[in-house]
Amino acid sequence: MSEARVTRLLMISPDSMVTPDQLVRNVQTMAPGINVKETCYGCLAESDARTMEVVIAKVREQYRNEVFSKVRGFPVGDPRRCRAQHGTRPGFAQLEAEWATLPLIQSALDAIDAGDTDYDTPVEKKPLPVRELKQISEAFR
Amino acid sequence: MKVFIDPPNSMILFDLVERFGHEPLSSMALIQEKVDNIEVDMPPMNVTLDDVVKGLKYAGVEVPSGIRGRLAIWGPMIEAADAAIIIDNPPFSFGCVGCDRSNELTKYLIKRRKIPTLTVQYPNDEEEAKTMVGQIRDFLGGLKQ
Amino acid sequence: MTIRIAQLSCGTEYSGVQYEIESAARSVGAKIVYPDVSYDQVKNALERFGFTPKSPQLQLMIARAVSIADGLYDADAVFITTCFRCAEAALVRNELRRFIQENTRLPVVTYSFTERLKASQLLTRMEALVTIVSRKELLARERQTGITAGLDSGSSTTKCVIMENNKIIGKAWTASGDVVQCATEVLEEAMKMAGIEFKQIEAIGTTGYGRFTLGTHFNAKLVQEELTVNSKGAVWLADRQRGEATIIDIGGMDNKAITVRDGVPDNFTMGGICAGASGRFLEMTARRLKVPIDQLGAYAVKGNWVNAKMNSYCSVFGIQDLVTTLGAGKSFEDVAAAACHSVAEQVYEQQLQEVDVRHPIIEVGGTSLNAGLVKAIGEVLGEPPIVPPDSQYIGAVGGALLSSGCL
Repeated sequence: MSEARVTRLLMISPDSMVTPDQLVRNVQTMAPGINVKETCYGCLAESDARTMEVVIAKVREQYRNEVFSKVRGFPVGDPRRCRAQHGTRPGFAQLEAEWATLPLIQSALDAIDAGDTDYDTPVEKKPLPVRELKQISEAFR
Repeated sequence: MKVFIDPPNSMILFDLVERFGHEPLSSMALIQEKVDNIEVDMPPMNVTLDDVVKGLKYAGVEVPSGIRGRLAIWGPMIEAADAAIIIDNPPFSFGCVGCDRSNELTKYLIKRRKIPTLTVQYPNDEEEAKTMVGQIRDFLGGLKQ
Repeated sequence: MTIRIAQLSCGTEYSGVQYEIESAARSVGAKIVYPDVSYDQVKNALERFGFTPKSPQLQLMIARAVSIADGLYDADAVFITTCFRCAEAALVRNELRRFIQENTRLPVVTYSFTERLKASQLLTRMEALVTIVSRKELLARERQTGITAGLDSGSSTTKCVIMENNKIIGKAWTASGDVVQCATEVLEEAMKMAGIEFKQIEAIGTTGYGRFTLGTHFNAKLVQEELTVNSKGAVWLADRQRGEATIIDIGGMDNKAITVRDGVPDNFTMGGICAGASGRFLEMTARRLKVPIDQLGAYAVKGNWVNAKMNSYCSVFGIQDLVTTLGAGKSFEDVAAAACHSVAEQVYEQQLQEVDVRHPIIEVGGTSLNAGLVKAIGEVLGEPPIVPPDSQYIGAVGGALLSSGCL
């Protein structure tokens, strides 16, 4: 991976009380040489790989289950990705959908932190055997 | 361990894999290299003609170019992965995961590698979210570092 | 004013062609834009549209189209493009094109690309979209005024028409060679026929592949792509300036299917990668049969294509089939008819599936002089097309007509 630049997307769960503005101001102080840009969902952060490691560790520590993150391919403010230039790229709708799901993930992580690590293993539903469907249908006659 | 995530651009999967101590392999990181390292004024978006030709390794010429271009990025990642996590029914899969045939082929290529793989269902409520996150945590915890 | 072309697409970024699309648009003064849609809009749009493709990117395409149709997003033209050979995308591409046409008055062009797409292949299409949007008033012109000339520098032939007060007073054509030399030749011949001198010509309009070179050389008042110019020429010649029509223009190198409303294209497709679907195939057939090209049609009309078996549309293998058939004792007429039928079928399969055929059908271009091809097109489409007089001069007539609007 390129060592020159790492761009990260930091997204605040909709259930969190943290605002993008607060997040930006805090992230900016986490390490020297970090470039942060506020967005509607949180912020974009950019630095070299080593600085980013420090920043991400701090973000995880301070906003444990409230802020989520992934790497972003394009640099901050890149006109090719910028929404203002020609409208949203396809990934925008996906991010929007993932953002809407974050409260569920946040609550699941909170439960694990609280020691509640049990979960129901999903049971796969099988289609009704044709014979049974036939019996049901015949009952309607 | 290197964990391939499917959808390969999912923020939730990327975050959870990293949170639970492993290295997520993502299409974003590969795109970054292309964006930064192609020395032309405005590099082609996401993939180049050469990439699409490299995609012939995974799918023949009669397969649409968009599938070959995607596989040219994901194929090597699957080959490099030690494990994989798949969300089976994500309602959100736009952008690079926008092609259903590419996504089917990706799942197949993961299966063929015979690496530890976890398939989870996308959650609709808190209970299901607990299941998904719990399964991912247990799976990643069980992988040897 | 920058023309905003809304791109509805799947696969462009992962085929490495997005940059080519954007540079084609930029080079004609347009900008590619993507209609903004939210995740919820995608769900609602799919319900409204009624077709839910498996591929999410195609779902997004539908949502973007619905956003344009509902007037939520402002665009001047629509470019719908998907990967070549993707069946699911081909269905969506065509249905969205129809949907946009039913719900808006925006010009639409569809295109299926491979990873080899280069900006130059899209130039004419993008230029046409821009012309339709930015030259609305000029394109509305139905009468030629003054003395003007149109020069159409095509891949096979170069044509010139001189018009005066809405009448053709001079015309000439020659096989294409050196662009300027051929144009000068036909212009002189047409002037001779019209009985006028160069200085009397008030405006010149150029079109076709050599339009830019000729435009500079002759200081033309109008230099415009052949999709809009040919459409105007076709409806003028066929006297169908009002209402709807489909124009089928099979040229020497590429073929076009254009639907028009009041003479202005609102949807078009353009082929150009296969010689088998062009006039070139008929030229090669004539040469192989040792028949003059202008007599091929007469032979074909008398023949029956069913008698000559062709296993390929290809200009190499298809013609080989014809020669083999001839060797088996079949008649020249049947073989000529089969060649014409092959071109008609290919145009039907490649071009006419991408537009909704409107009536009447006007067949133009050099190949429309071939009665065998006209018959074959009629058979394939189920109705005989209108072939206006001087149908090979559409580009030149369009050039003369439109350039008079620049006076």
